[in-house]
Amino acid sequence: MNILEVEKLKTYFFTEAGVVKALDDISFSIPKGSTLGLVGESGSGKTVTAQSVLRIVPKPGKIVGGSIFFEGEDLLPKKEGEMRKFRGKKISLIFQDPTSSLNPLFTIGEQLGDIVVQHMKLKKSEAKEWVIKTLKLAKLPDPENAIHSYPHQFSGGMKQRICIARALLLSPKLLFADEPTTNLDVTIQAQIIALLKDLQRDLGMTLVMITHDMGIVADMCKWVVVLYAGNVMEIGPIDKIFEEPHPYTEALLKAIPRLDQTKELVFIPGNIPNLIDPPSGCKFHPRCQYAKEICKEKIPSLEDIGDGHFVSCHRWKELNNRG
Amino acid sequence: MADTSKNKESGFSMKRGVSQWAVTWRRFKKHKSGMFGLGMIIALLVIAALHNYIAPYPPRPLPGSFTPLYEGEAGMPPSLKHPFGTTVMGTDVFSEVIHASVYTVYVTFLATVITMLLTIVVGLTAGYLGRHVDEVLMRITEVFLVFPSTLLILVFARIYQLKVSEPFWYIGGISIPVGLTIIIFIVSIFSWAGNARIVRGEVLRLKETEYIQASKSLGASSRWIMLRHILPNVLPQVIVLATLTMASAVLVEAWVSFLGFGDPNTITWGRLLQESFNDLSTTWWAEIFPGLVLFLTVLAFNLVGDGLSDAINPRLRE
Repeated sequence: MNILEVEKLKTYFFTEAGVVKALDDISFSIPKGSTLGLVGESGSGKTVTAQSVLRIVPKPGKIVGGSIFFEGEDLLPKKEGEMRKFRGKKISLIFQDPTSSLNPLFTIGEQLGDIVVQHMKLKKSEAKEWVIKTLKLAKLPDPENAIHSYPHQFSGGMKQRICIARALLLSPKLLFADEPTTNLDVTIQAQIIALLKDLQRDLGMTLVMITHDMGIVADMCKWVVVLYAGNVMEIGPIDKIFEEPHPYTEALLKAIPRLDQTKELVFIPGNIPNLIDPPSGCKFHPRCQYAKEICKEKIPSLEDIGDGHFVSCHRWKELNNRG
Repeated sequence: MADTSKNKESGFSMKRGVSQWAVTWRRFKKHKSGMFGLGMIIALLVIAALHNYIAPYPPRPLPGSFTPLYEGEAGMPPSLKHPFGTTVMGTDVFSEVIHASVYTVYVTFLATVITMLLTIVVGLTAGYLGRHVDEVLMRITEVFLVFPSTLLILVFARIYQLKVSEPFWYIGGISIPVGLTIIIFIVSIFSWAGNARIVRGEVLRLKETEYIQASKSLGASSRWIMLRHILPNVLPQVIVLATLTMASAVLVEAWVSFLGFGDPNTITWGRLLQESFNDLSTTWWAEIFPGLVLFLTVLAFNLVGDGLSDAINPRLRE
């Protein structure tokens, strides 16, 4: 069973310089109870995907087409008031920067308590208990006193634990974690990753890890969706993606630094394309080492190559000796 | 105050936090001129509250009349009996200044409340809702900014001065001067525009912050975000603007009265200045003392405004 099915989703930003096609016809689905990695470089549309699912795309962005089915219900035709019942309760989001995602004026208890009181109609004392319980779940030390403290009193890692607790307050079924470790130092990163893994397992949530770190993906995810310039490049189970990757995924994998590395680090030449005027054909072709004439001319379609593995590449079969 | 308690299991302890307001107050307390200004404002409030006990002489029975009350003591220079001297009409300047302080307080606070309400409503809705609402509200704001408000205040003041039929409203035993109240409304309507633009700018900045996004992602409504996240965050800015509005409200009412467009039924500081203006060469004390008190009051509000702005944004001080 899939908890989320995204079909032909298009989210455009109508800027003064032109229309930025941040998500251009993307489709993927997330099996219930699994951990999925949403991978790509900066600007590939990872965050916009999460924002689109929650329908909180900032202006001048707008969802212009497609459908998003959450447990079989299409979210896009829903009115704002109905949509609000999904946010936090069914689908939740953890932000990249824990510091700026907490309101500096209120204590942790006030901020988190507010959400509980608003949505769960609990009394203040019950809400406090609930907040403390959830903070414990996120392994924040000393939650009884922490609720009387302001965000600036916590370290980055502790703030991220608070943000994780906030996202879990209303027991969502689907949790997006938008690069939750990017702003933390390495030892804390490992702790947060371990915490998210435990929470996903213990609460039976579906977790979407938005990241550009293939190491985290290999560690956590069963399924991977690779985005590039607003297109899905590849979808598949983790082992297939590491075995027979799309040329873009292959380039991403090569760019991971290794301890036993003797040569210089490999990087992907060039930059992510301008999305107002993207390259013709396959959007990755200007940076692809395998690109041929056909890649410039024709947009490849997402092809099912078996075992739940989908690839959008003209040359994949040839490169992997499959026909 | 901060209290520390230890968590036995982890050995980790968390200090109870201090709110932004407490921090601001702590910084403000160290601001000497700000505290001095605050002291003067508190003194003004005390004087206004106790004016009948402090002033040695009662207020004029008929504010419009020029009947000398203290025959034989007209045009006297400052002395122990008349600390600020007496006017050519024979009124005690000190007593009149003390009695008029009530109106100063009334003008200051009512004008500021109205101005800041307009400021918050316009700034918040324009900034948060954006798009068409913002367009319309900002064009209206610009109209108010380019109007020659000085002249319009005088025109409206004159129109209402002629129209007022009853001098006072009596509400629960308190007499409220009708003309002065109308002037307060007129002044307020011409004072919010600049403030609203500042608040809007602040809201535009706050709107993009991640905690607003986070709040949205947790199902908060627009109203909730505006009142619970944006308003508290613009409040420090609003309070600074409010103190500066208080200073200008005192000043504007004074010059409207000084020019003779004020409420004929109330004796305000501006009115005292106007009455004695022609006798400046002889009874200069009747002009200097109300002027000095007015100056000190405006100064006090400005000092507090400066002090608050430094306390709220310590980085802006340099």
